[in-house]
Parts: sequence; C-alpha cells; structure tokens
Amino acid sequence: MPEETIAQSLKKKGVSRRDFLKLSGALAAAMGLSNVLPVSANGLPLNPGRGYSMNRIIAKALETKSRLPVIWLEFQDCAGCSEAITRSNSPTLGNLVLNTLTIEYHETLSAAAGFQVEQAKQDAMQKYAGQYILVVEGSIPVAEDGIYCVIGGRTAIDILTEAAAGAAAIIATGNCAAYGGLPRAKPNPTDAKGVWEIITDKPVVNIPGCPAIPEATAGTIAHFAIFGTLPELDNLHRPMTFYGVTVHDRCLRRPFYEAGKFALSFDDQGAKNGYCLYKLGCKGPTTYNACASIRWETGLSFPVQSGHPCLGCSQPDFWDGGGFYQGQSAPLEHPEAVAVGAAAAVGAALGVGATLINQAKKKPKGGEK
Amino acid sequence: MNWNAVLQFARGPFFYTALLVFVAGMIYRLVTVIGLGWSKDRVPVKGSKAGGVVMSFLKGILIWPFIPWVKNTFKRNPLIYIGGGLFHLGLFAVIFLGAAHMLVFKSLLGFGWATLPLPIVDWLAAAGIVGMLILLINRIIHPVLKLISGPAEYLAWLFVFLPMITGYSLTHHLGPPYEVMYSLHMISVDVLLIWIPLSRISHFIFYFFSRAIHGQEFGKRGVKV
Repeated sequence: MPEETIAQSLKKKGVSRRDFLKLSGALAAAMGLSNVLPVSANGLPLNPGRGYSMNRIIAKALETKSRLPVIWLEFQDCAGCSEAITRSNSPTLGNLVLNTLTIEYHETLSAAAGFQVEQAKQDAMQKYAGQYILVVEGSIPVAEDGIYCVIGGRTAIDILTEAAAGAAAIIATGNCAAYGGLPRAKPNPTDAKGVWEIITDKPVVNIPGCPAIPEATAGTIAHFAIFGTLPELDNLHRPMTFYGVTVHDRCLRRPFYEAGKFALSFDDQGAKNGYCLYKLGCKGPTTYNACASIRWETGLSFPVQSGHPCLGCSQPDFWDGGGFYQGQSAPLEHPEAVAVGAAAAVGAALGVGATLINQAKKKPKGGEK
Repeated sequence: MNWNAVLQFARGPFFYTALLVFVAGMIYRLVTVIGLGWSKDRVPVKGSKAGGVVMSFLKGILIWPFIPWVKNTFKRNPLIYIGGGLFHLGLFAVIFLGAAHMLVFKSLLGFGWATLPLPIVDWLAAAGIVGMLILLINRIIHPVLKLISGPAEYLAWLFVFLPMITGYSLTHHLGPPYEVMYSLHMISVDVLLIWIPLSRISHFIFYFFSRAIHGQEFGKRGVKV
C-alpha cells in the first residue's frame, strides 16, 4: 500500500521513534548528503539554519512521503545483485528498500510465479504509471531480435521498453545492466547492451559492480524515495556519492604503493605483510567504486583488504580490460609471433627494395667505386 | 568523454598497431643502413678491426660516458653532458626498472625482473624531466643549435617529453584523474613508438652501429683506443 508514508509503515513494524531518527541519520550519511544541492532541489531551505540537520530533513521526508513502488526486472544476470541487496544489513538500508519500499515485482523474490506474477506486474505498472522506480539487473541482448533472453515468450528488449515507458526513473544495478557486464565480454555473442544504451528518453542511473554494492543501490533508491530526484551523476551515469573516487584513492594498502612495496605473488612475504597488490594486477587506480570506504558485509572487508587485487568490476568492459592477474600497465593485445614476423618481413622487404633502388640510382653515375 | 573507452583503445588496438609499425620501421631502417655496404680497405690495415670494435664498445659505452673529464663534450659543453646524461639515465631507469614498465615487458616477453622502489624511480624520472628541460632551453637559446634545429628536432623532444610528463603526473595523481592521464600516457607512448623509426630517436640502435664503425676505423688505422 504505497499511500502509507514510510514512517508509518516503519512504526507499524515496531521501529521506535529513536531508531527511526537513527535510521534517518544513517541514510543521510549513506547518501553523502553533506552537499545541500539535492535538498535544495526539493524546495527545502538551502541553509536549514540552527537546529536543523540532515537527519531531521530526512526524517521529515520519510514522515511525509508515501512509499515508493519498485519493479525489479532481471535479464542476462546471475541474480547476484539481488543476492547482495538481501544481505546488506548495514544501516537497515537494504531492509528499508526491501521491506518498506514496495517491491511490486521481483522475479527471484516474488512468492508468486508464472502468469499470476506477470499479471501482478501489469497491474502495478498500470496503477503506479509514471511513479514507480524500475530496477534492472542483467544485460539486454539485442542480436537476432533479442531471442537470446526470452521470459514468458517475450524478449528482454520488449519487457524493458514496456516497463521503462511508465517508470519515473530507471536504476541499472550491476555491471551487466549498466554496461553489459559478463555477457558483453568478447566475443559478445548475444550483442549484450546496458540499459542506458537502449532506454534514452528516461533518466538511467548506473550502479555498476559485480555485484553492485548493495548500499549503493539501496542508497540511490532511498534518495529517489526521499527527495524525488536522482543523485548527481558522473559521465558514466554513476552517482558521484558512491563512484566519486577510485578504489586506489581510499585503499588501505595505498601507503605501500607509494613506498613501492609490492606483493609479487599471493603467498610471498610481501603478501603476508599486506603490501600493495598492483603487481598482481590490481585495477584499483582506474576503478571508481565505494568498496574501499563502504566495504562489504557491514563494513567488514573488501577484496583488496582480503588480499585479492581489484578486478575493476564497476568499469565498462572490465572483462576485456586485460588479464585479472596481469599488471594494469600491460597492453591489452599481445602481438603474436606471426604478426611480429610479418611486420619484420614487411620492414625487411621495404628495406631491400629501398637499397636496390639506391644502388640502381648510384651505378650509372659513378660506376664501381 | 568516456576515458575508459579511450584507454582501452590506447592500450589495445593502438598499442598493437604502434608496436608492429615500430618493428617494421626499425627493420626497414636497419636493412637500408646495412644495405649501404661497408667501404673497402684501400690501405693495409695497421691494427685489428675487431679489436677496435671491442675496445670502442667497452670504453665508449661502458667507461667514457661516466668519466666526465675524458669526454670532450663535458669540456666543451658541460650543460649538454649533464642534461643529456641525466635524461638518458632517468629514461633507462624508468623504462626498465619502473614496476609498471617491467609488467609491460613481462606481459610481452613472458618474464619479469626486480624493479626499483617507486620513490627512487620517481627521483630518476624527475631528473630525466629536468634534463630534458635543460636541453630544450639550451636548444632554444644557443645560437648555433637554434640554427640547426628544425621541426623534426622539436617534435622528437616533444614526443619523448609527453610520455615522461604524463607518466610522472600519472603516478603522482597530479592534475586530471588517473585514467585520463593514463590514456594520455598510452597515446603518447603509441605515437612515440611510431615516431622512433621515422626519426633520429632510432639512434637507440644506430648508436651501436656507429660505435662499431668508429671502432673498426680506429682498429684499421692502429689508433690506440
């Protein structure tokens, strides 16, 4: 029942006023609302004045805004991003999105199945036309008229276009929905595409990652629920709050990088000392994500902390971005011996030709030296 | 602008093409130089040609350049000696002993080697950059050098300077974001690879040729090298 406000539904679930305010504060922090721009965009005072704080503003928004219907579609995906969001138990954000925001349709989480759930989706799309958030997980294949991903007899493009038409905003969660992800890796047999390449007339927010950091997905949905607008995006349509800095910038192994102390294999003394993983192929310097600050499992750890180099999973085409365990500086394509030989042969042939021409030119003039 | 795509292009197809052009171009230059032939000995050889070559290599490459007072260059123009020396030292240290560059060779050749710590490479790179700037200023203000410098000389300077300055700001996170500097670094390296065979930067190979030629001339005339 989306007419009920978010605060009311939380109260019904036994969340005390104190916990509610705590949640508001946590939300403000999670959304990085030190910047007042998203607040001012909603007609709230630019300088809230004494006594006003972000969590008050959020609490007020939660008390007045009705719940936000969410339709969650899955295409060429592994449900890993859904899996991640169901396990995000940090500031009850995932909880907020899952329980309090109305996920009207989710292929993996819906209890209903078959025609029944498809009907429920149609009903929701009609009832909340122009209001709901469309979350997409998985890439969309467009080769051969999209036959590589068909659900209930309809292609992914068809389902996406239909659902996007009535959406207020679209959130592409995970690298697949954002930039094509694994299905797009060479040779990309299904011609997989990200949502923003197909839907161009609606605002699309990309929350890339493999999986996407659940706090980033939930935080973006919460931002829309609270302010009715989307957060500030970078040129790859990622929220600046979560994708503003690189993994390298916030990495706890960064001092070792600066000092030139590297692990050279996964079990050497350097690895045991926690040295930088750059030489083991870390893509942190070019990867924009909040792994190093928000981390995973309630801030427990993230890949680099656990001793594995960053794969760069929030960047477009990261599967084709060079070997995962090869230094980032290594070239993406290695010329085969044949190609190098051919180039050498061409050079040699040109050289011999030039020499012969030179000699032919010389002879008539001076003859034998 | 999608720098991710630019970077993929610069590290992928562009680097691939540049590398093949570099190989083809250098082989072409080598063959044409060898095709010029050797001059005939018209007088009896006084010493040993092979010995002259060996001495020329040993002393000319390994010893003389590091003992300033025996070099005429140092006596006549210490600025060129110091600037050029700093530049070459910095360049070689960075190319072969920088961690990121070793990884490039490792991926191409299949084996790697130990590298210098980043701070040391940094200082050498900075020395190389300073050396290059000294040489450029000298070229601009020196009346004779100015006369004999054309676009090819300034372009050669630029094409070597760009990878060095972009690489330096890349590792130090100066200016634009990492992937932007990285893209510019790779593009400038690719351009340099294509430029090398077409220009006098090819002296990185022909230097050894001229050493050999000079050595055998010394040997022929019995000069005590």
